[in-house]
Amino acid sequence: MSSAPSKRHLPLLLGYKKSKAMIRGKDKKVSLNLTSMIDMFTILVVFLIKSYSAEGQIVTVSDALTLPHSRSDQTVELNLEIMVTGEAIVVDGEPIVFVDQTVLSQGNPIPVLVERLSDHLEYTRLMRGITDGEEMKVNIQGDVAIPAILLQRVMSSCAAAGYSTQNLTVIKVEGGDEE
Amino acid sequence: MAKPASGRSHRIRHAPEIDLLPVMNLFCVIIPFLLLSASFLEISIIEMAPTEGISTSGAGTTSLAQSEEQQLQPKVIMTAEQMFLGTVFGTRPISAVTREYRDGELVDTYDYQALSEALGDFREELDREFASIPVHKITILTEDNVRYDNIVMAIDVCADHGFDQPGLQVAAYSVLQRQLNSMTASGGE
Repeated sequence: MSSAPSKRHLPLLLGYKKSKAMIRGKDKKVSLNLTSMIDMFTILVVFLIKSYSAEGQIVTVSDALTLPHSRSDQTVELNLEIMVTGEAIVVDGEPIVFVDQTVLSQGNPIPVLVERLSDHLEYTRLMRGITDGEEMKVNIQGDVAIPAILLQRVMSSCAAAGYSTQNLTVIKVEGGDEE
Repeated sequence: MAKPASGRSHRIRHAPEIDLLPVMNLFCVIIPFLLLSASFLEISIIEMAPTEGISTSGAGTTSLAQSEEQQLQPKVIMTAEQMFLGTVFGTRPISAVTREYRDGELVDTYDYQALSEALGDFREELDREFASIPVHKITILTEDNVRYDNIVMAIDVCADHGFDQPGLQVAAYSVLQRQLNSMTASGGE
């Protein structure tokens, strides 16, 4: 013979009988307190708005290199990209020169690189007609560890090909707390 | 004796609740959008002045001699052992090379604080002696194996003191020593 469930166990028997507490609170509206979540979201939105960029990222930084940090605040422009790592010099995504001891032992423009850059400049001339100063600029993305001679050879190659302005691409840091 | 009726209601008044759900909905739309368009890595550029190349064989000595014509333009000279500041008032050593860990790697570095102080002093002297001549150009003259990040750090320090048009010259050790000796002998001129 089964005995009737005690009052103590009633809330556990869902659908069997309603507890007194449930009956008492049936007309009460349960509301979630969203204030703390709104506070958190407000902080998050302010932070994200501060780091919002309307222009978007116009420079793609390769994973193969680490850019140096700088306090320079000049905005980056869309130019021809040259990536310089300890292994290769890449122009517009295409590896042009593989860095070895021969490359590092001389200080003059690199002929292959000059030729590739000249071709690019000539192509730009053909496509757009007269080239102005804006098109004669290159952005050089150099790895932090490359030696000065490699950077100088790339820069002098750019100058030899007709790119009169060379910009070094860096990661901007706020003033004073660099590294 | 009973109090006279005041005419005021004695019901407990609850503060009206603001419905926060539309705000939550708005945030749920805004946050993913901002997350997608936020750029946490800000890229900038350093515009370099036209470079004058120097070959390791010393073939670029002519270029060095030409750059000497701009007598007020200072030079930050970075060798594998020491850093110097060459100005119209003379060439003086700034700091010896030290070693520090950078991104887990032991690398050569220089005392950029000392460079900043030296450039500050030079800027003051320049403003006092040659106030009418604006000097913005500076040459970073390095040995061929100096790391790129050291060059960028030196450029940053120079820009802090108004020398915001940096140029880069690279020389072999022997050429650099010759250049340093000639600068010291001629009092930096």
